[in-house]
Amino acid sequence: MKNLLEVEDLRVEYRGRPIVDGVGFSLSSGESLGLAGESGCGKTTTALALMKLLPDGLSQSGSIELRPEGAEEPIRIGKRTEVGMQVVRWRHISLVFQGAMNSLDPVKKIDFQIDEVIRLHEKGVSGREVKERIADLLSTVGLTPKLGTRYPHQLSGGQRQRVMIALALACRPSVVIADEPTTALDVVMQAQVLELLEKLRRELGLAMILITHDLAVLAETCDRIAVMYAGRIVETGTIEDVFSNPQHPYTKLLLDSLPVIGGTRGLAPPIPGGPPDPGNPPEGCAFRPRCPYSEDRCLAVPDLREVGKDHAAACHFSPWASWPKIEAAGLGVQK
Amino acid sequence: MEVSDLAVTFGSRRKQSRAIDGVSLEWRRGEVLGIVGESGCGKSTLARAMLGLQETSAGQVTLEGHEAGGKAAMRELRRRIQMIFQDPYQTLNPRQRVSAIVAEPLVVQGVDKSVHQEHITKALVDVGLDPATYLDRYPHQLSGGQRQRVAIAAALVLEPEGLICDEPVSMLDTSVRSQILTVLMDLQKRRNLALIFITHDLSLAWSLCDRIAVMYLGRVVEAGTAVDVIENPKHPYTEALVAAVPVPALGMGRARALLKGELPDATDLPGGCRFNPRCQKRFESCDRIDPVLADVGPREQRAACLLYDGADPSARSAGPAVTAGPGAGRDRAEQARGTNDG
Repeated sequence: MKNLLEVEDLRVEYRGRPIVDGVGFSLSSGESLGLAGESGCGKTTTALALMKLLPDGLSQSGSIELRPEGAEEPIRIGKRTEVGMQVVRWRHISLVFQGAMNSLDPVKKIDFQIDEVIRLHEKGVSGREVKERIADLLSTVGLTPKLGTRYPHQLSGGQRQRVMIALALACRPSVVIADEPTTALDVVMQAQVLELLEKLRRELGLAMILITHDLAVLAETCDRIAVMYAGRIVETGTIEDVFSNPQHPYTKLLLDSLPVIGGTRGLAPPIPGGPPDPGNPPEGCAFRPRCPYSEDRCLAVPDLREVGKDHAAACHFSPWASWPKIEAAGLGVQK
Repeated sequence: MEVSDLAVTFGSRRKQSRAIDGVSLEWRRGEVLGIVGESGCGKSTLARAMLGLQETSAGQVTLEGHEAGGKAAMRELRRRIQMIFQDPYQTLNPRQRVSAIVAEPLVVQGVDKSVHQEHITKALVDVGLDPATYLDRYPHQLSGGQRQRVAIAAALVLEPEGLICDEPVSMLDTSVRSQILTVLMDLQKRRNLALIFITHDLSLAWSLCDRIAVMYLGRVVEAGTAVDVIENPKHPYTEALVAAVPVPALGMGRARALLKGELPDATDLPGGCRFNPRCQKRFESCDRIDPVLADVGPREQRAACLLYDGADPSARSAGPAVTAGPGAGRDRAEQARGTNDG
């Protein structure tokens, strides 16, 4: 069986500088993939490219193929024009935007906003059916349909986030991309929204791409994970493999720096420095300037290589048998 | 610093919202104290009230036993205790250079101008920013992490004894987050700086705090050492909060009791214990009796829950033996735990 979504060699450029640099992954139905990385690593840009929603000035290339159930020919998103995308977006693949809670129209009632999405993308649905579907959607995301008569400002942050998820589900897509769906929420709301996403995946068989910088969130919700750094995937594999046996220094150091309840108290040494400036990238491996293990051969760009079954890393030294102890260098002073 | 029976009320007389409702806390010299709870539980309001940035309706704040009332005392308090906020994009004046931002507390407190430069340089070095590069920058030329460092430098330039950090890293990326926390904890050790972390992130409280206080709807519902409260929570709310934290470890699944619903409206508090409508361990008296903090553990662990002896204020004033007899509360606690574990 072919995968539901297949992305190959996705590139996004801004004035000739790569923002996303040869990203590829696949997703089968009902699967959830976590896209992890820091601000500016290209994870949101990747999501927008999958939807063909990149802002002006950014150009994309590479192949994106979507095979919804029952479709004979794959939908080649990479080759579609804007008009062609309008029948794909929300129908087959939808996106819950970052900071979504604030992207609802403040002067329209919730019902109306969902109504709009359904009618815009599906012609010839009867008014009664739309009504039923709105009520259905709201209860699917754990809201009482009564809330549909409210305005966004009358809802809490958690409720608005649920409405955004309902909107993403309105046209029954097979893939939902959620960009930082819980970042603005506190732990309790976060747990509730994650539980909801998990339930939807189970019950509707949705495939999901979850984008976040919070590795702990991914550990609980995803089957597979792709860690991005400076526009590239630097490590990918099943959640179990990547968390128990990370094969890229970046993943390893990120995991070490996570506080874990019941684990060692105190702070692990932080990764020094910050992500590279896309206008002035370092020579060779992009993580080299921050990497405590870097050597001369890191001046060549490493490829993403298989290091185990369904586990790949872009590091010259992987597979790592063990991680040499590093001296806590301290943070020093930023120049 | 000591806070006793502090209350903050918002709104008109007819529709009052008790944002802080009788909170007492101790914050010791050099101590790292965590104040945790959901959005809207009053943790930020409490911090603001402690620094006199928020009018209080009852209670008092004392610094080394002196009440912080009156202008002079408040000025003194704000020199010795500083605060940093969540959003480093909003707290720095976009039209001031870093040098002016860090100098401002010195100007406000009337520190002699001749030593400004020295203080500013030291504060910047302390937060890991090279003064030569950053003094003349504007906030828009800085990354989020650098902004937060500047905010910390401005807070530290007066060499305070305490620093209240309101969600200092919740808007930052993982690797920047641990850098900022390292800067803060390093300063804490070197200067014996007392810190308060206001956060909804219990894993952060776990790794950094000596003691924590858990707040719910304007009250402290549990307090104790970070290890006791998180490893062995006594209040059902704390238990649920700990369970809500995502764990970056495998095989945990999500099969656990989730806290349902959201915080009730603070203008219309439920009767009895304010957590009772969401509580999985509620029993018959929970919607009648409003519990107070009772000792529940050896190391000053206290919880405001009727499962424990001493949490019923009426029984306390009448003497413990009158209503239920010793141990009755503990029996209930065990019963409740038994039914919930199964």
